[in-house]
Amino acid sequence: MGLEIFVCIKQVPHPDHFSEIHVDVGKGRVIGEGIPVIMNPLDRHALEEGLRVKERFSGRITVIRMGRPRVQKAVEEALAMGADRAVLLYDTAFARPDTLATAFTLFYAIRKLGKFDLIYCGNETVDSGTAQVGPMLAELLDIPQVSSVQEVSFVDEKSLEVRRAWEHGHMKVRLKLPALLSVTRDINTPRLPTVQGIMEVPQKEVIIWNAKDIGAPLENVGLKGSSIYAAGIHEYKTDRRREMMQGSTEEKAQRAVARLKELGAI
Amino acid sequence: MDFNLSREHEMLRDMVKEFANGELAPRALELDNKGEFFWEQVKRSGQLGLIGVINSKEYGGTAMGHLARMILIEEISRVYPPLGFFHQTGNLLMYAIETFGTDKQKKKYLPALCKGEKVSALALTEASGGSDPANMQTEAILEGDYYVVNGRKSWITAVDPADAVGFVAKTGDKFSAFIVEKGTPGFEVTRREESIGLRSLPVNEFALTNCRLPKENLIGEEGRGLVCALTTIATIGRTGAAGVGLGIARGCYEIALKFAKERVLYGKPIAALQAIQFMLADMNVEIEAAKWLCYSTAWQLDQGKTSRDLAVDIARCKLYAVDVANRCAYKAVDIMGAYGLSPEYRVIGLLRDALELGVAAGSQEVMRVTIGATITR
Amino acid sequence: MSDSGEIWVIGEQRLGRLEEVSLELLSKGTALSQRMGVALSAVLLGDEVEEIARELVFHGAEKIYLLEDAQLRYYQSEAYARLLAGVIKDHEPQVVMIGATEIGKELAPRVAAKLRTGLTAHCIDLYVGEVDAAPHLIHVVPGWGGNLVMHIICPQKRPQMATVKPGVLPRAVRDENRKGKIIRVKPDIGDEDFSRIETVEVVEEPPRGKPLESADVVVCGGWGMNALGGFSMVQELADILGGAVAGTRPAMDKGWVGEARMIGQSGKTVSPGLFVSLGASGAMHYTTGFMGSKVILAVDQNLQAPIFQVADIGIVGDLCEILPCLTMELKKDRMPKKF
Repeated sequence: MGLEIFVCIKQVPHPDHFSEIHVDVGKGRVIGEGIPVIMNPLDRHALEEGLRVKERFSGRITVIRMGRPRVQKAVEEALAMGADRAVLLYDTAFARPDTLATAFTLFYAIRKLGKFDLIYCGNETVDSGTAQVGPMLAELLDIPQVSSVQEVSFVDEKSLEVRRAWEHGHMKVRLKLPALLSVTRDINTPRLPTVQGIMEVPQKEVIIWNAKDIGAPLENVGLKGSSIYAAGIHEYKTDRRREMMQGSTEEKAQRAVARLKELGAI
Repeated sequence: MDFNLSREHEMLRDMVKEFANGELAPRALELDNKGEFFWEQVKRSGQLGLIGVINSKEYGGTAMGHLARMILIEEISRVYPPLGFFHQTGNLLMYAIETFGTDKQKKKYLPALCKGEKVSALALTEASGGSDPANMQTEAILEGDYYVVNGRKSWITAVDPADAVGFVAKTGDKFSAFIVEKGTPGFEVTRREESIGLRSLPVNEFALTNCRLPKENLIGEEGRGLVCALTTIATIGRTGAAGVGLGIARGCYEIALKFAKERVLYGKPIAALQAIQFMLADMNVEIEAAKWLCYSTAWQLDQGKTSRDLAVDIARCKLYAVDVANRCAYKAVDIMGAYGLSPEYRVIGLLRDALELGVAAGSQEVMRVTIGATITR
Repeated sequence: MSDSGEIWVIGEQRLGRLEEVSLELLSKGTALSQRMGVALSAVLLGDEVEEIARELVFHGAEKIYLLEDAQLRYYQSEAYARLLAGVIKDHEPQVVMIGATEIGKELAPRVAAKLRTGLTAHCIDLYVGEVDAAPHLIHVVPGWGGNLVMHIICPQKRPQMATVKPGVLPRAVRDENRKGKIIRVKPDIGDEDFSRIETVEVVEEPPRGKPLESADVVVCGGWGMNALGGFSMVQELADILGGAVAGTRPAMDKGWVGEARMIGQSGKTVSPGLFVSLGASGAMHYTTGFMGSKVILAVDQNLQAPIFQVADIGIVGDLCEILPCLTMELKKDRMPKKF
């Protein structure tokens, strides 16, 4: 069969180190330098799904990442897990995009890569967590898409049936290829790269493209292509009581229980 | 000098860390208490390509080298030392066959061992003393096309689960190395020792009673057995034990550090107390020093230097890493107070495991003999 | 910038039931429509859902654009997106709000991409404020670090779209006397809308046990429970208080709670009478999940933890010592008084 599979991956700060992320309230900027990075956890599930499909039907997996080439941990891990090649989209013009501008950047790159059968994405990232890029990208590519995918089965060569999560249950959706699937962690358990996989990484192709390479109109990508942007970062004001209990451990517990009773909470 | 590890070595470390944290850590206490050989974890290790890192791809290995081996043993041992120690002993026969064996032997034994489907052991030690191998009593006498072997080996790790056991026996006034397979008549595991540490790794005694082994079971030439065994033990055993030591030391340090930051006494974490800081600082320094001793030795092995060239380096890193492991484990137990002694927490188990490293692959005193004799030559 | 455009809420119905979040969006919609001096309308897609359309009127919508067809009975990805984008293009609202439900999270971005406009996610508030001396609709979303929020604006593109998580905004008040116009829009759909993708089955599974969202007391444990080796004390406290157990994302990653009990931006939002947070420092991604609670009690070992800024009652101390004391005090309180 030979399926052409793309997997979109994002390199994100390691969730265990989120508390180290610095916020410059004055400049309105989030500073994440120096923090360990990983491949977005759900993207690993997406890649794993792609690898299983490739193992079953044969094909090729290309991972696509937007970011800077200085640290390529996510790409290296993807190649070590078994992806065949990687595309890195790097250009200052791509910087500070909103979700639609991100989707556009990926769209131009995929348009350049050519024909494909399946695109896998993680449902959302651990840092921004909007879950928007998958559906937006599918819309730009004019292909069907499903979010929160928990299970995929091939009905035949050209169509799938997927189970997607719902608040209290699930939905079954049939769709034709080419399609984009945004997956959740229920879908599989991602494999660890093997030593063999790790050693093959240096031989695998990593293509780096800028805006010109993919023919991206500058007004559709990056900050220029963004409709929304952050106007500022502020303290979230609440009108909570903020009463801190004082005294010994026992006294703190006693006072807390007393106050809760007074407030009618217990 | 570039002290950075290659990207591949970093990726390896990340992978083994995830394997250790995700699959070994949750079961470490349970496996330790069960005391059964951890086949599942060995197979997993094989699946990931970790067991055959010093074997060639032709025979199922991954040929990533000694530094890779050092890193993976360290990361595994940080969480579950018995599996790290399994790599130490399990790789011995694999190296011996790869380096001294015939093509037929390599094809026969290595693929399954690399996959973790079968395991092996290497036996030098006898009641006469592991530190005095030339005094061994086990003897192999050639009768036609067979060697008839009689003798007893003791304190050998993992003979019980092993499918193939390498051992050294007297042949005339020299020594030779052989392979005996499980189920061979005349080969019998006679004892399992009680271990205070590395509990799920059995330590056995086995007897060879008129055990007939064909000539093709010789590893290398007749008479070259001690060279084969000692080279193997130095290159693989000592570096492996050093790696386990590094892992235990770091594991204890990380647990103690985390505990010190969370445990509150006198209104603040004990990490604010100088006494605790000094202990942690000492651990920090020693671990870093041990790490570079070990890594540089492994790196040099990867450059093609032999265990003879590196006799002192190898002895040094084993000696130091094992001492550091024991000191760090003890300090960690100390820092954690009553929690340090509780079997529900990891550190006391890590201390017990550290104790077992002293006599592994040559005792600490034998390391000093190697160093002292060489430098004063 | 069409300042005269309406405020729109995309209503969500499932199997003939109106989703709560639609009513929450209508309360915000009402406030915005009053502030901005424009009408509030709602859009509803489905089959035989006129009664639901009326409910939307009772909760504040002045107009309902109703698109009904047997083929729209279930949510259908391509059909819904195309129809919604179409009706938006035809009537040019300036603001469109959608609930961040499983459906909303898939539908809203598709529509935003069709319209080539901006879409914010997980808003915890929307209000008209000033940015650089000009009035803007400010979309407030959780930020990084302690209690920080980001103010996002969509200066040019219209409509500006926002998704809001269920359980964050208050519900609109129902008034049966409210009058509104229901405008039937004949959905122009054909078989091509279902040729590439089609929902074939919808299965509802009633939640096992008490759903978290309806519990009157929620006891939520975080990473700090590690010092106690796990969640047994969380469960004990919940039992004493008659509440439900929940966890933060790190607690879920540790395996102490399942995904259905994870509180936070990408998890559940609850607003019980009493919310107890144990051993969680209080990053915004977590606190948005329970900001609507009536009373919040927080226990953590770090005095600087941001959670204390959003709590009513705070206790700082070693969890290993505080929790047993707290448990004991609550047990005492529950004991029948001896005479």
